Amino acid sequence: MIYKTEIRGPLIQGDKSFSQISREILAPIDAKTPLWWYFAMATSLGMLGFGLYCIYLTLATGIGSWGLNNSIGWGWAIVNFVWWIGIGHAGTAFSIFLLILRQQWRTAINRAAEAMTVVAVMCAGLFPLLHMGRPWLFFYIFPYPNTRGPLWVNFNSPLFWDFVAITAYILISASFWYFGMVPDFATIRDTTKSKIKKAVYGFFAFGWTGSSKEWLRYEGLSFVLGGIAAVLVVSVHSIVSTDFAVGVIPGWHTTIFPPYFVIGAIFSGFAMVLTLVTIMRGAYKMHDFVTDSHIDAVCRVLIFISLIMGTAYMTEIFIAWYSGSIYEYSIIFESRMFGDYAFQFWAMFTANAVIPQLFWFKAVRKRIMIVFLISIIINIGMWFERFNIVITSLSRDYLPANWANYSPSWVEVGIFVGTLGLFTAGVLMFFRYIPMIAISEVKSVAKYNKPQTNHQSGHHE
Amino acid sequence: MNKNYFTGVFHDEESLVKAFDRLKEAGIKPEEVYTPYPIHAILDGMGNKTRITHAAFFYGLFAVIGLLSFMYYVSVIDWPLVFGGKPFNAFPSFIVVTIVATILVITLATLFTFSVRAKIFPGKKAEIVHPLATDDKFVMLFSDTIGKEKEEIVVNIIQEHGEVEK
Repeated sequence: MIYKTEIRGPLIQGDKSFSQISREILAPIDAKTPLWWYFAMATSLGMLGFGLYCIYLTLATGIGSWGLNNSIGWGWAIVNFVWWIGIGHAGTAFSIFLLILRQQWRTAINRAAEAMTVVAVMCAGLFPLLHMGRPWLFFYIFPYPNTRGPLWVNFNSPLFWDFVAITAYILISASFWYFGMVPDFATIRDTTKSKIKKAVYGFFAFGWTGSSKEWLRYEGLSFVLGGIAAVLVVSVHSIVSTDFAVGVIPGWHTTIFPPYFVIGAIFSGFAMVLTLVTIMRGAYKMHDFVTDSHIDAVCRVLIFISLIMGTAYMTEIFIAWYSGSIYEYSIIFESRMFGDYAFQFWAMFTANAVIPQLFWFKAVRKRIMIVFLISIIINIGMWFERFNIVITSLSRDYLPANWANYSPSWVEVGIFVGTLGLFTAGVLMFFRYIPMIAISEVKSVAKYNKPQTNHQSGHHE
Repeated sequence: MNKNYFTGVFHDEESLVKAFDRLKEAGIKPEEVYTPYPIHAILDGMGNKTRITHAAFFYGLFAVIGLLSFMYYVSVIDWPLVFGGKPFNAFPSFIVVTIVATILVITLATLFTFSVRAKIFPGKKAEIVHPLATDDKFVMLFSDTIGKEKEEIVVNIIQEHGEVEK
C-alpha cells in the first residue's frame, strides 16, 4: 500500500460503528422523500419532455429541422455527444485509476461517479443515434450476415470503432457499477423493516450473503474488471478522438488528439463528480463520509489536469504556427482565436486552463460554494472546447467557397435540454433509491487507523 | 435451512481474526465465514482459491483470435473491398475493434463465470445464517457434526472474543 492514513488522516469523520455507517448511508432511502426532490424531479421531467418533443420533431421532419448546412454537417449533436461521453468517463476513471493507485479515499465517491457515468453515457448515445436521421435502421451498423447483399461494416472506420467502443463502455460501466452494489443491496435487504423493500432489494441482491467464498470471487472479479476497464477508459475516448483526427480537416488532423481527448474527458468528468458530490453532501448531510479532505483531493487533481489542458491548448497554437501549414494557421489563429468563434475559444481557454488555477489556494478549496461554482464553470468550458473543435474546423474548409457559419436551431437546443433533464432525473433516482456511497467499501476503510493486528497491517492488496 | 449448525458472532474484524487464528492453531477451520466486507486474513486462511483471473485470461485469448479471424474472413474471404488503398487484410486498423470488443467479451464472460461459480444470480433466495452479517456482525459457521470434543474447544475460543449462537 502506497498511502498510509498518516498522510490523509481518518477517511470518515466521527467514530462510527459499522451499523451506524449502514444506517447513515441508507437514511435517504428509508426517509420520506423530501419536497425539493419532487420539485427537482418535476423540473427534470419537464426538460426531458421538451427534449422528447424535439426528438419527435427531428424524426418527423428530418435533420433539416436542425441548423446544419452543407459545410457544417456536425453541429450540436456531436458537440453534445462528445461532451456527455467525456463526463461519462470520470466515473470509471475515478474508480479504476484510484483503485489501481490504491487510493482508499475513493470509496466515498466512486458509487456516485459510476452512477453518473451510466446516465451520462446514455445521454451521449442518443445523439449519434438521432444524427443517423433514420434511427430505426440503427441495426445496420452491427456486423452481421444479412439479406441486403454483402453489407458488412467497414472495420477501418473510426465511426464503427466508436460504435463498438460506446456499446462496450455502457455495458461494462453498468455492470461494474451494478456488481459493486450487490453487497449493499444485501445490507438493505437484511436491515430494512419494510416488506416491499426486503423483496425488491432482496431480488437485486442476487442472494448475496457475504460468505468468504463470495468475497473471494468478488475480489477476483473486481481485479479483472478493474484491470481491463482501465484500458477501456483510455481507449474509448482515444477512439472518439479518431473520429476527428483521422479526417484531413485542418484543426482535426493532429496527433495530439487521443491524449488530449482522454485528459479532457477525465477533466470534465472529475468536475461533474465534484458538482454532484457537493450537492450530495449538502442535500443529504453526508459530510462525515465525503469530508473536506475528499473535496480538497479532487480539487488538487483538477489543478493538475487543468495544467495539462493548458499545455494541450498551447501546443495546438504553437504547432499551428510552427508547422508552417497555412490551413492549420488559418484555423487556429484566424478562425478560432481571433475569428467568428473567438468568444467560444476564449471561453474555453479561460474556463479550463485559467479559472481552475484558483484551486492552488487553500482558501478557495475549502469554500464549498466556490468549489461548486468552479466545477460548473469547468463543465461549461469543456462544452465550449467541443464546440471549438467540431464547429470551427468545419466552418473554414480548404475552399473559401465552402465557408459557412453555424448556429443551432431551437430543436437542437431542445434535445440538449432534454438530455440534461434525463441526466438530472437519473441522478435524482440514484439519490433516492440506491445507496449513494459504497457501504461495504467504506466499512473496510472505516477502522483504518485504529490499532491494528498483525494481520491487518500486513494487509496484502 | 435446518438448524444443524452453530455460529460464532463477533463485533469487529480484530476479534474475528484473532479467534480465527486461535482456531487455526488448534487445527480447526470454520465451515464458512460471513463478513460485511472482504477481510484478506480470512480469505487467505479459509484456503479457497479462485481461478477467475485465469478464466478471464483465456476468454480474452479466445476473443482476440475469434475477432481477428472474423474480420479477416469478412475483409479478405467473404467480400474483399479496398478502403482508401489499404490491403484487404488491413491488420493494424483491426486492432482497435479487437481491443475494445475483447474487453467487452472478457467482462461479460467473467461476470457470467462469477455468477455461476459464486452462485450469485437474479432471483436467488439468500441463505441467511445471521441477519446482521451484511451489516455489522462477523460470523463464523460451524457444523454440528464436528464432534463433541472439537465443539468444546471452538466454543471456548469463540467465547473469549465473541459470542456463540446456537
